[in-house]
Amino acid sequence: MTSTATNTPVRRRRAFSRKDRLTLTAFVGIPTAFHVLLVWVPAIGTIGLSFTFWSGIHISDIKWAGFENYNNIFTGTPVFWDAIQNNVIWLLWFGLIATPLGILLAYQIDRQIRGHRFYESAFFVPVVLSLAVTGIIWNFMLQPGGFVQGIMGRDISNPISIYGNYDINTYVILGIASWRHIGYIMLLYLSGLKSVDPSLKEAAAIDGATEWQTFRKVILPTMKPVNIIIIVITVIDSLRAFDIVYMIYGSSTGWPILGILVFQNISGGGMSMKGAAYAVILFALCIGPMITYLKQSFAEDVK
Amino acid sequence: MMSDQNNGISRRSVLKGAAVGGLGIAAGGSLLAGCGSKDVGPMKWGGRGLEESSVQWHEAVKTAYETATGNTVTLNMNDANAFQNNLSQYLQGTPDDGFDWMAGYRMQFYADQGLLEDVSSVWDEIGDQFAESYKIASTGSDGKQYFLPTSWYPWGLHYRKSTMTELGLDPENIATWDDFMKMLEATKKKGLIGYALGDKGGWEAMGTFDILNARINGYQFHVDLLAGKEKWTDAKVAEVFKYFEMMIPYMNKNVLDISWEGMRDLLLQKKCGAMMMGSWFSGDFKTLSQADYDDLWIVPFPEINPEHGRDTIDAPIDGLCVAANGENTEGGKELVKWLASKDGMQARLDSGNTFTSANNGQDTSSYDPFQKQQLAVMGEAKYITQFLDRDTRQDFANPVVAPAIQNFLRAPKDINKILESVQAQWDALPAL
Repeated sequence: MTSTATNTPVRRRRAFSRKDRLTLTAFVGIPTAFHVLLVWVPAIGTIGLSFTFWSGIHISDIKWAGFENYNNIFTGTPVFWDAIQNNVIWLLWFGLIATPLGILLAYQIDRQIRGHRFYESAFFVPVVLSLAVTGIIWNFMLQPGGFVQGIMGRDISNPISIYGNYDINTYVILGIASWRHIGYIMLLYLSGLKSVDPSLKEAAAIDGATEWQTFRKVILPTMKPVNIIIIVITVIDSLRAFDIVYMIYGSSTGWPILGILVFQNISGGGMSMKGAAYAVILFALCIGPMITYLKQSFAEDVK
Repeated sequence: MMSDQNNGISRRSVLKGAAVGGLGIAAGGSLLAGCGSKDVGPMKWGGRGLEESSVQWHEAVKTAYETATGNTVTLNMNDANAFQNNLSQYLQGTPDDGFDWMAGYRMQFYADQGLLEDVSSVWDEIGDQFAESYKIASTGSDGKQYFLPTSWYPWGLHYRKSTMTELGLDPENIATWDDFMKMLEATKKKGLIGYALGDKGGWEAMGTFDILNARINGYQFHVDLLAGKEKWTDAKVAEVFKYFEMMIPYMNKNVLDISWEGMRDLLLQKKCGAMMMGSWFSGDFKTLSQADYDDLWIVPFPEINPEHGRDTIDAPIDGLCVAANGENTEGGKELVKWLASKDGMQARLDSGNTFTSANNGQDTSSYDPFQKQQLAVMGEAKYITQFLDRDTRQDFANPVVAPAIQNFLRAPKDINKILESVQAQWDALPAL
């Protein structure tokens, strides 16, 4: 405490003029006000709503429900557990397959393997498409009467069942999601790899490290900031997944995930307080691992 | 209550009279135009549907009303889906005086919340222009009317006449379950799909459930089930799914892969025998070619239980409500009265829009044969239901029933477990 005290007064003494203060207040205050108004107020409102019964009409009709909506979701809504299952499968798939593939791809391209420019562009193209567009494209490709079915000579009366076949549709959807996710991770990792000092790799090679050892002991630790971003993106993208599924199945629960349940209940088809409770669950699932992970990484940095 | 019943009876006898001589109704119509002309100040009309055809007829009808009565109307058109999703905010804010809406539960819910104006007085004036079943569908839970019907369409079995002729069948003669099974068998032998069904959207197969339940257990049971007065675990409901299961071997194998567009295309491409759908899709046939449209036919779903015959049909009614928070509710009532009346509907028909009027006295001479058949199909039914997602709680229809039917189509053997889960989910709904 005493050691820091000797440093801080220097900073504190820097006085702001009236004008500076006004400018600062405006630059910090206005965005903060907007942020609080547009993010925090609705977020707290949503959390509050999730503990009520409300038909959404008269404020006076609002009734305290305690944990009743959550109880209903956890014990009385089987589709919630189907959704959780699908979200978990999505997370595992992204975490164990799609993301590592993207990293591998970035590493190989960075090593300038033969045809790396081709691979780079091929995997980069899906990244420029929004998730919604990705969903539209693949729905058009695979649905009955769609392009792929068409070139296989199958019309609408005898198509191969894909989106309605519950043995395979999960993997088809994950495949579509990966089609974009792999390229995205590749792009992020590649930009990180470009900034790694080549002399580090040379030094490792001189020390006789294998390719794998170099990657694991040298590249991966150097890339820590990028790794954190990638993990955060993978977790959040898996949990908030919505667009692709919505484009294929609409707001029906043909392939339930949490994002669809939030939407289905808030937008017309259900009860907003239950939708709010789903949103809070989703928020808790996203924020929990994020805070834990970020805290840990920052703590290590301080050391 | 007593006087209501008396009114009902007298209204019915008026209807019989009207059926004999259209002249009486025509005279009534011009009298009504007379009442509509009283000065009630400027009023606002909230319309649904931003597509060109919709805007066009709304504007034509608005002009016709202004010319006929001298009143001023401001027309505000809205996107249909957004309007539906935001209706509660709309009604609590500064709503238009009269607005486009639908009959049944979706009307009753807002009526119960006190957001809709009682329009019983309008029914007293022009109620004789509508069938009794319309009045039931326009009535809130307190017995008063909150809605005026304008147009409607039937849910029934759609066939292609040419396909049926090739099979040596006449859709008109497919009147019982046995006839129906024979038709399915015949189409299957021919290598076609007997009963085209898609349920990717989750709502399409509700039409089949509705009609099977109404045919097997009757209107009252169906309505009570959707209102939670009967149980989904009742053996009667399991019976419905037994019949549903009998149809599965004749269905396309990709029910959960296709939505209503797929069903339409199966019929359009002559790949199937029958398709259960609301007739609103028929416009797509007409857009493609007049020949395809002329080949289209609709008949009521066949009788299963003779006790109920073919007395019920899903025929969603679209129409108008008056907002309780509107600035000019009296004006709103005058507006919806004229819009729903024979004259108002004639103006809408004259604007070139294709639909069937809900008004009894409408001159149907300009209708094509398919439109006339739609009317005949709906006219046969004694009870009108609105469709499952309009007849029950919003947090039950799509979030609970839709996945339950999808699960049934996936694994019909699990039906008892599925129905138990549906009932458990109904029981867990908060009382609102």
